[in-house]
Formats: sequence, C-alpha cells, structure tokens
Amino acid sequence: MSFKVSEQAGVATVFLSGEIDLERSPLARRTLLDALARKQSLVVDLGDVSYIDSSGIASLVEAYQRAKNANLGFTLTHVGDGVMKILSLARLDTVFPIRAAG
Amino acid sequence: MVTALSTIYPGRDRRRSAGYLDLIAELIEEFARSEDLRVSLASALRRIADVMDADAAGLFQLEGDFGDADARIVCRACVGPIDVIGLDLSAHAGIPGRVLKRNKTELVADARNDPDFIAPQTIGIDYDIRSLICAPLSHRDERYGVVELINPRAPGALFTTRDAEALGALAAAAAFAIRNARLTRELLEQTRLKQELELAAAVQRNLLPAAPDVSAPIQGLNIPARGVSGDFYDILPLPDGRTAFALADVSGKGMNAALIMVKAATLFRSFGKRIHEPGLLLSRIEGELAETLAFGMFVTMVVGVYDPRSHQVKLANAGHLPPLWRDAAGGFHEFPAADPPLGIRGKLERNRYHERSFSIAGGSLYLYTDGATEARDANGAMLGADGLQRLIDRHAAAAPGARLRAIAEAVGTDVRDDLTLLVVEDTDAAGQVPPRRRRRSAAHLVAQTIPAQVGQLKIVRRLVQAAAREAGAGVAWAQELVLAVDEACQNIIRHGYRDNVDGRIEFTIRRRGRQLEVELVDYAPKAEASACRGRRLDEVKPGGLGTHFMHALTDHVQFRPPPQGAGNRLVLTKRLGANTDIDTDNQGADSE
Repeated sequence: MSFKVSEQAGVATVFLSGEIDLERSPLARRTLLDALARKQSLVVDLGDVSYIDSSGIASLVEAYQRAKNANLGFTLTHVGDGVMKILSLARLDTVFPIRAAG
Repeated sequence: MVTALSTIYPGRDRRRSAGYLDLIAELIEEFARSEDLRVSLASALRRIADVMDADAAGLFQLEGDFGDADARIVCRACVGPIDVIGLDLSAHAGIPGRVLKRNKTELVADARNDPDFIAPQTIGIDYDIRSLICAPLSHRDERYGVVELINPRAPGALFTTRDAEALGALAAAAAFAIRNARLTRELLEQTRLKQELELAAAVQRNLLPAAPDVSAPIQGLNIPARGVSGDFYDILPLPDGRTAFALADVSGKGMNAALIMVKAATLFRSFGKRIHEPGLLLSRIEGELAETLAFGMFVTMVVGVYDPRSHQVKLANAGHLPPLWRDAAGGFHEFPAADPPLGIRGKLERNRYHERSFSIAGGSLYLYTDGATEARDANGAMLGADGLQRLIDRHAAAAPGARLRAIAEAVGTDVRDDLTLLVVEDTDAAGQVPPRRRRRSAAHLVAQTIPAQVGQLKIVRRLVQAAAREAGAGVAWAQELVLAVDEACQNIIRHGYRDNVDGRIEFTIRRRGRQLEVELVDYAPKAEASACRGRRLDEVKPGGLGTHFMHALTDHVQFRPPPQGAGNRLVLTKRLGANTDIDTDNQGADSE
C-alpha cells in the first residue's frame, strides 16, 4: 500500500501512515526521497502513524539530510505523542524542524 | 532473406521469385485469419510446393523439447506421390535433425552425397530423393518443427539458393503463426484459470452461513477484496439454545490464504458441533491446521459461545484483533488476545487457549478483521479502532444486520483488504458494569518459534503487547517493550541471519516477580558484543539507533549462554514499575 503524496507550489506533503516498521520503511524512504528528487521541499505528515521503529526514524533522518544538502525544506507535522516520544529518545526532537499541528 | 528476393532474377527464377513474394504476403494474411492452424498449414504447404515447382513437400512438427535426446518430429502435412502423414522420426537424426540443431535453412543440391542423408528406402518408403530444401519452423530459439521441399518437378533440375531463401521466409511466416496460436492458447488457459478462481470464490461464499433472520442476535458480513477471501466467519446454533460463533483471518492473500480459510472454516463447523468450549475448540482446530500451514503462515481467530438466557459470552482469542464490546451505556471495552495465532505452534499450558467469560447484558460485541480498521477515508487517513467505534456509535440504532451493512458501506468501497464483521447483540436492557480483567500470574506468557522475516514483526509486536497487558502493564509501558523487542528481532533478522529467510527465532516471554523477561534464541552466527552497544547520540545518522532503543526502553539487555546448538540468546528485562502497573479496561482512551 503506497503512501499518499500531495504536491503544491514546490512543496510535497507525504502522509505516512500505519506501522512504519522494517517491512514498510523501505517504501516510506523511497516515497520521501522521490519527492526530494523532484526538487521539492518536503512536509512529512505523521498524523496517521500508529507505530515507528528505528528503520522508520532512519528513513526520516536520511530524507532530512538529503533535503538539507539540496537546500530544500524539511518539516515534520502532526507528530503524535507516541512518535514524539521515540524522536526524543533518539534526541532527534531538537534536530528535526517540527511544525505544531494545525 | 526477403530483401534478397527483391533482386531482379533472370529467367525462371525471376518469374518464380515474383510468385514467392505474393505467396508470402498471402500466407501471412491467411495465417492471421486462420481459425484452424493445422488446416491452414496443410493448404500453405500445397501452395508452396506448387509455386516452387516441388514434387513433394512435408511439414514435420517437433514433439517434446528439442533439448531432450528422445524428442521426435512427426509429419503433420504432406504433398506428393506418397502419403507420409504420421511418419515419426528422431528430432536429432538425418538432415531435418541437422537443420533443427543449426536452426538455419539448408539447401541440399544432391542428397545422396550428404553424410546425414537417410534414404527413404531404408525406412520402407519407395521414393528417390535427389535434391531438397529443409527450413526450420522456429521463432528465435524456440523450435516448432521443419518444413521440407523435395525434388524439383522439371526432370534433372536442382533447387537453387533462391528457392532456399524463399522457403526460409515462408517457414518464418508459418512459425510466427504457430507462435501466435500457442500464445492464444495460453491466453485461453489463463482465462479458464480466472473462471476457476471465480468458481472457487462462489464455493467459498457458500461456506459462509446462510443469511440469518434479520432479527437473529448474531449477524455477520464478509466482503472479499479479490474474489477469494482469507477471512471467514461462522455462526453455529447449538442444541441447548446457545450459539457458537467464530471469525478468522488467514495471513497472506489470494489462493493460498483462501484454501487455508476453507480448511479452518470446515474444522470449526465439524468440531464446533461437539466441542462447545471456545478454548478447547481452538486447540483442536490448531492441532489439525498446524499440519497444513506452510512455515510462516498463521491464522488469527476468535471463537465464542453466546448464551442469550444468561447474557454471557465466553471467548477465546488466538492472536486476533481484540473483540470490542459496546456496553448498554455506550462505553467501549476491548478484549486483547491472550494467546498466539493458530499455526505458530505455541507451547500452550494445558494445551488449551485461554477463555474469558463476561456478561454483555444489553450491549453488543463486535468481531472484525483489519480490513475494517485499516481502511482509509477520502483523505487517505486510516480508520483505526477509534474510527470503527465512531461508526458503531453512529449506526447504533439500526438493527444488527443493517448496522453491519451500514458500517461496511462507510468503511468504503475501496476495500484493499478482505472485510469481515460479526456482531453479537444482547437484547437485555439491564446493563451491568464491565468485569475487571482477571490477572493471571502465569510464568510463561509466550513460548513459540517464529520465522526470522520482516513480515513477522507485526505479529511479534501483537504478541508482546498482549503479553505485557496480560501481565498487568499499562499501555505506554507495553509500547516501550514492544519497540525494544521489535528492534532486537530486527537485529537478528538483518545482522544475525543477514536476511536469510530460512532463519528462525525462538521467542519466550516470562514473568519473573515484578519484571517481564523476553528471551530471543537464534541460530545465526555469534553476535559481536560490540555490535550490541548504542550509538553516540550527538551524531545525526541512521544506524545503531535500534540498539539504543533496546537499551533505553528496558532495564537490562544481556547476551546469555545459548542453549546447545543455538547461536545467541538475548534477554531483555523490563521492570513493572509502581506507576506502570495500571490495569485499565478502557483501552480506547489510551490510543493516540
């Protein structure tokens, strides 16, 4: 099952959803990197993510670094408590730009 | 080959080559329209012999694979003074054998001087062959047979290279037609398979219970995603007035899952008539099913018995999504699985699945497959258990059967997964407070072997979740342990077995006093102790993060001496803290 992507004015919003585990993170990674390859800034919506593991976090880290090197934007949005807890555990809560829900 | 023919030929050749081009065009058209290729090939052979002035001609079809030493060629059409239809020769002998092998047209000006020539008289045919052309019927390396032209009619004449080129071109057109006919036949075969699949789906639908009376207290619904379904439900009235019911989901999709589903459904039907204890019924079904399931396949299943007089439901849940009870006041309560799915060969205590009895007085109990909660709305958002509860609330006033149909409709027509729902409706108005979850003090919460494959991680997470809740842990505590164990299993799959899918992990969860112990035994090469250290967190880079999670989310991560023959034994220990040991009944409130 693919992830929804919406594109508007040079910004791609990728809606990750469900369980982002070792089985599904390759698809998440591919979706994020493909959006960046089209020279678009990236907003990653985590609102529907019910679970994320280290492979999912690694995909976010890779996309973040790729965006930074290409001078493209990278923002996380709708970060739920569960995902936020894992980001802070990895101390990535202060690294990733996170936009408050809304 | 065809371009060579467009050269201007003098005399007889010139007249004949113009005829060849017309003939090639005609035959290609006829092959394209042909409904019976064998008839078309026979008529083509006659016309080829005619235009090329040959005394005799034969078309031989290859029988069997040319690579086999005992492959044959059999005459399917012939022209000339002697009928040799049915003549059966080795595909590796004589001039035809050589042509098939080289896959190239050959002109044999004087057959008697050719070392491979087999004179017709030696196989009982009274006919002299002076000169011949033999062309392969082949498309690239795929060989279908040969076509042979024998003896020009004009006395003393021999075939020319131009005749050979022409026959080569005609043979190529014929081979192309043969290939098309075979592809068409394969296509028909596929269509037939598709029809069989549709028939299988119809057989499956007949296995589901016939539509019950709309006023019946138990109703079910199944919408397969792809013709055949890996889900099923059943409702079985018992002689004593109670009703048994079941709902199950087979891992995987398509025909495999459908066949297992048929077996599980049949087992429930036949054992369910005699065994009215859900836990025992599940272990009997598991006992029969485990033999059939391929390694890595499993079935999650809920079995229950409802007694309308006492309003009691007795449930056993093998790894399935938690049944949902909406009480008379509209509150929701979940009943998570206490046991692993069927077919994973869990070493269960007393060889029996845990049962739980409770009153559903005045409320309704819902069983569902993940097609219900993983469906997406128009904005792509997943419905989730919360969304399902909202839908149940919205349609609470409808009669049970109509309610299920309304929920299914709201879940969406774009069902990617099989969708199965079942409701047990209790009509008693006297609602009661929900029972407290009984706390068990079993030492072994889980003991089983799982394939070391990424697709199994989901089931590992459900098992850890269920075991942690069983041990009385709160939701947040359970989620921490789930992530730590998931990461440990990932390490084994990726770094231990290096993604070799044949590996397995022996997986045990024990409660020792105030702590849970998760033990993972694998048969991969020994891990380096250094590989189990966390990473420096000031570096922003992937890798080592999983190990960090394991350490951060548990109290101990230890490699202990593995059992005889095993590679590693990793033990994760996590203490049940004073604050985490909160046993909530209403899990819906805990989700994010």
